[in-house]
Amino acid sequence: MGTLTLNLSTRTLKPYQHHNNLLKSPLSLYDSQIHCLCRKKNLSITIHWKLKATKESAERARNRVGKKIGFSDGAPSLSEDAGNGGVPASPDRNSSGSFKLLKKLSRRVLSVLSNLPLAIGEMATIAALMALGTIIDQGEAPDFYFQKYPEDNPVLGFFTWKWIFALGFDHMFSSPLFLSLLALLAASLMACTYTTQIPLVKVARRWSFVHSAEAISKQEIAETLPRASVQDLGVILMGAGYEVFLKGPSLYAFKGLAGQFAPIGVHLAMLLIMAGGTLSAAGSFRGSVTVPQGLNFIVGDVLGPSGFLSAPTEAFGTEVHINRFSMDYYDSGEVRQFHTDLSLLDLEGNEVMRKTISVNDPLRYGGITIYQTDWSLSTLQILKDDEGPFNLAMAPLKLNGDKKLFGTFLPVGNNDSPSVKGISMLARDLQSIVLYDQEGKFAGIRRPNSKLPIDIDGTKIVIVDAIGSTGLDLKTDPGVPVVYAGFGALMLTTCISFLSHAQARANHDQYFDCEFEFQLICEFVTYRYMGCVAGYVATTKRELLEGLAPGLSPVIWALQDGTTVVVGGKTNRAKAEFPDEMNRLLDQVPEIVESYSSRQSNSSSG
Amino acid sequence: MIFLTLEHILTHISFSIVSIVITIHLITLLVDEIVKLYDSSEKAMIATFFCITGLLVTRWIYSGHFPLSNLYESLIFLSWSFSIIHIVPYFKKQKNHLSAITAPSALFTQGFTTSGLLTEVHQSAILVPALQSEWLIMHVSMMVLGYAALICGSLLSVALLVITFRKDIKIFYKNNHLGNESFSNVFGNTYFFSAKNYYKSQSIQQLDHWSYRVISIGFIFLTIGILSGAVWANEAWGSYWNWDPKEIWAFITWTVFAIYLHTRTNTKLPPANSAIVASIGFLIIWICYFGVNLLGIGLHSYGSFTLTSN
Repeated sequence: MGTLTLNLSTRTLKPYQHHNNLLKSPLSLYDSQIHCLCRKKNLSITIHWKLKATKESAERARNRVGKKIGFSDGAPSLSEDAGNGGVPASPDRNSSGSFKLLKKLSRRVLSVLSNLPLAIGEMATIAALMALGTIIDQGEAPDFYFQKYPEDNPVLGFFTWKWIFALGFDHMFSSPLFLSLLALLAASLMACTYTTQIPLVKVARRWSFVHSAEAISKQEIAETLPRASVQDLGVILMGAGYEVFLKGPSLYAFKGLAGQFAPIGVHLAMLLIMAGGTLSAAGSFRGSVTVPQGLNFIVGDVLGPSGFLSAPTEAFGTEVHINRFSMDYYDSGEVRQFHTDLSLLDLEGNEVMRKTISVNDPLRYGGITIYQTDWSLSTLQILKDDEGPFNLAMAPLKLNGDKKLFGTFLPVGNNDSPSVKGISMLARDLQSIVLYDQEGKFAGIRRPNSKLPIDIDGTKIVIVDAIGSTGLDLKTDPGVPVVYAGFGALMLTTCISFLSHAQARANHDQYFDCEFEFQLICEFVTYRYMGCVAGYVATTKRELLEGLAPGLSPVIWALQDGTTVVVGGKTNRAKAEFPDEMNRLLDQVPEIVESYSSRQSNSSSG
Repeated sequence: MIFLTLEHILTHISFSIVSIVITIHLITLLVDEIVKLYDSSEKAMIATFFCITGLLVTRWIYSGHFPLSNLYESLIFLSWSFSIIHIVPYFKKQKNHLSAITAPSALFTQGFTTSGLLTEVHQSAILVPALQSEWLIMHVSMMVLGYAALICGSLLSVALLVITFRKDIKIFYKNNHLGNESFSNVFGNTYFFSAKNYYKSQSIQQLDHWSYRVISIGFIFLTIGILSGAVWANEAWGSYWNWDPKEIWAFITWTVFAIYLHTRTNTKLPPANSAIVASIGFLIIWICYFGVNLLGIGLHSYGSFTLTSN
C-alpha cells in the first residue's frame, strides 16, 4: 500500500496537493458525510457503515502520509550535518541545602496560592464582605450600633454589635480583615501569573528554529513540498496572520500569541489597579472647603494627608481666590449647573491659572484637583430704609430630602428687649428670597438685583444681592495614573482574550451545526445503532473541546532542503481545524519549475 | 405633545408585538413547530427592536439628552438590549436557545416599564448637574448592555440547572414499555435510555456553550461600564472609587461572573458547577440594578422611585 501511494505521489504534477485530500481530519470527512446523508435521509445502517468507513480511511490516509515522509527523511539528499533542534536541555543547578529548602518552601507557597479554588474562595469572601458592608451602615457613631444591633435581641440569633467592633465592620472597607483578604487575592493573582507564565516561557523557548528535517517531520502534522521555496511559504503564512521568522533555510511561525498572554495581561492589569489603589490610599491628600464668593484660601490649609506616603508639594502654597460663584437654572427653576470662577495665585501673588469650574469639569494644577461639589448661601445684602447695605449672614435650615433652605433674620425695633421681633427671609437658591413679617405671615417674594423695594410694617427693604459660597473638594492622588493605566490594560486584555477565543469558538459552532444535523439523523436511527454513533461523536467532540481549551498556539516550522521544503506544525488549540488550515495554506505555495532539481527529488523518493 | 403621543404609540406597539411573540413561542412549545409561524415571530422581534429604537430616539429628541437618566428610561434601554441580543444571532443565521430567553425577558421588562407601577417617573426628568457629561452615554449604556447580556447568560445557566436536576419524565418511558411489551428485553431499554441521556447531555452542552458566550460578552460590557464609571467619578465626584452601594454591587456582580469564568476554565468539572455560580449572579444583577435604586441610597440615587419626597 505504501509503495503504491509513493508512486502516485511522485508521478502527479503536484503530489502534495493530492495528499491534502487524504490528510483531511476525520471530522471534516465525517461532516461531509453527514451533510449528504442528511439530504438523502438515508437509513441508519448505511450511516453506521459509512462512518466506520470514513474513520478507517482517514486513519489509512494518515498512515500513508507518515510512510511517505519517512521515506523522504531517509533520502540521501538531506543534509546530515543539520543542527539538532528542539528543546535545549535545562542546565543543572547546584545549590546549597538551605537555599534548596527555601526554594522548596517558596514553591510550596506558590502552589498553594496559585490554587484556583483558593482564589475563587477569596473572591467569593470579598464579594460577601462588600455586600455586608452595604447592609451594615458604615462610619456611624458606636451608639448607633449599640442600638441597631443590641445584645439582648441579636440579628439572626447571633449577630450583635460586638461582632461589628471585633471585625471592624463599622468601617468595612478599611478593616484589617477586608484589606488582608485583598492582599491575599493580590498574592494569589501574582502566584497564578507566575506559575502560568513559566510554562509559557518554556513554550517560547521551543519556538525556535529547527534545523533538522527529521525533527520537523516528527510533528503532529508534517508535509514535504518538493519544488517549493521557504520564502514563499513565509509570505503565505504571514498573509494568514502568522508571526513569521525566517533565517537562512529555516522558518518558524506561530499564531495566537495575543490569546496566550491576554489572561495574564488581565491579571497584571488587576494587580496594577490594586497597586494604584494602594498608592491612592497611602499617598493622597484630601479636603473640602466652603468659601464665600470673593474670599481666598490656601490649598495647603485645606488638604489633609490620608496615609504615611503623603508628602506635600510646592503647589500646596498656592492661594485660591473665588472670583464668582453662579448657578444656571432650567426654565422650570431647577438647577442646571454650578459654576465657580477660580484664580490661582502663587506665593508672590501672581495669577498662575484661572478657570471656571463646574460639576464634571474640575481644575487641575500641579497635581492638585479642585472639584465643584457643593454650594450654600453665605450672605444677603440688603438696604433697610435706604441705609446700608447691610450684610446678613444666612444659616442653613435643616430639611429632610436633599433640597436646601437658608434663612436669615432682620431685627426690627428695640434690639435690647428680650423677645426680639423682626423680618425673616428664606431662600432656596440664589434666584428669589421669600420674606415674612414680624408675625410670621408671608409678606412677599423679591429677586436679588431687582431693586424693587418691599414694605413690611413700615420698614422698606431692598434686597441688593444674594452671595453664594462654593463648596469645593480638593485632592492630590498619585495613584490615579497607575490606576488609569490598569484600567486601560484591563479593557484591552479582556477584549483580546475574548476575541482570541473567537476562532476556537467559530470552530465550536461548526461542530454544533453538524450536531444539529446529527440530531435530525437520530430520528431515523434505531436504538441499536445509537450507541455506536454516539461513541463516535464523543471522540470527535473530545478533540474539539481540547481545541477550545487554552494552550499552545499553532506553531509551524519549515526547512528548505535543496528545492524541497519540509513543513511541520503542531497546535493545542482548534485541533480539528488546524490540518485543514495548513493544507489550505500549503496549497497556495507556488511551484518552482526547475528541471535539474526536480530530477534529484524524484529519484530520491522514487 | 406630538412626541408624547408618538412615544405612547410606540410603547404600546412594542409591548403588543412582544406579547404576540411570546404566544407564538408557547404555541411552538406546546403544540407543534410551525415553521412559518416561527419565522414570523423572528420578524416580529425585529419590528419590536425598531419600535423600541424609535421610542428611545423620540425621547432623545424631545428631552435633549441621551435617554438614560432614570429608571424608566434605563428599563426601556434594557428591553432594547434584550431585543438586540435576540436579533444578532438571527442575522448571523445561528439557531440557538437564546430566543427562548430573550423574548420573555424583553416582554417582562417592557411590561414592567409600561405598567402603572412606574407612572411617576415616565416623564423625562431634567438632568442634574452631575449627570451632564459625555460619560453618561458610555457608562450607562455599557452597564445596561452588560446587565442584559449577563441576565440572558445566567438565565441560560438556570435552564441548564433545571435540565440537569429535573427528574426524568416518566410518560415516555411508559409508552415505550406498553408498545414493546413483547419486545421487553433489557437491551431495548438501555439503548432507549442512552438515547434520552444523549439528548439531555446535548442540550446541556449547548446551554453551557451559549451561556458562556453570552456571559463573556456581558462581562466585557460590564468591565468597560465599571471602568468608564470610575473615570467619570474621578471627574465628577472627586475619586475614582467612592465605596458607593451601587458601585459595590456592580463590583460584586463583576466578581461573581469572574468566578464563573474561572470555574469554567476547569473542564473536568461538570457544567452544573459554573451554572450555579451564574444563577447566583442572576440574583445579584437584580440587586445591583434594582435593589440599590429601590432604596435610593448613595450617590447613584438619580432615577430612583420618588417615595421619600413629598
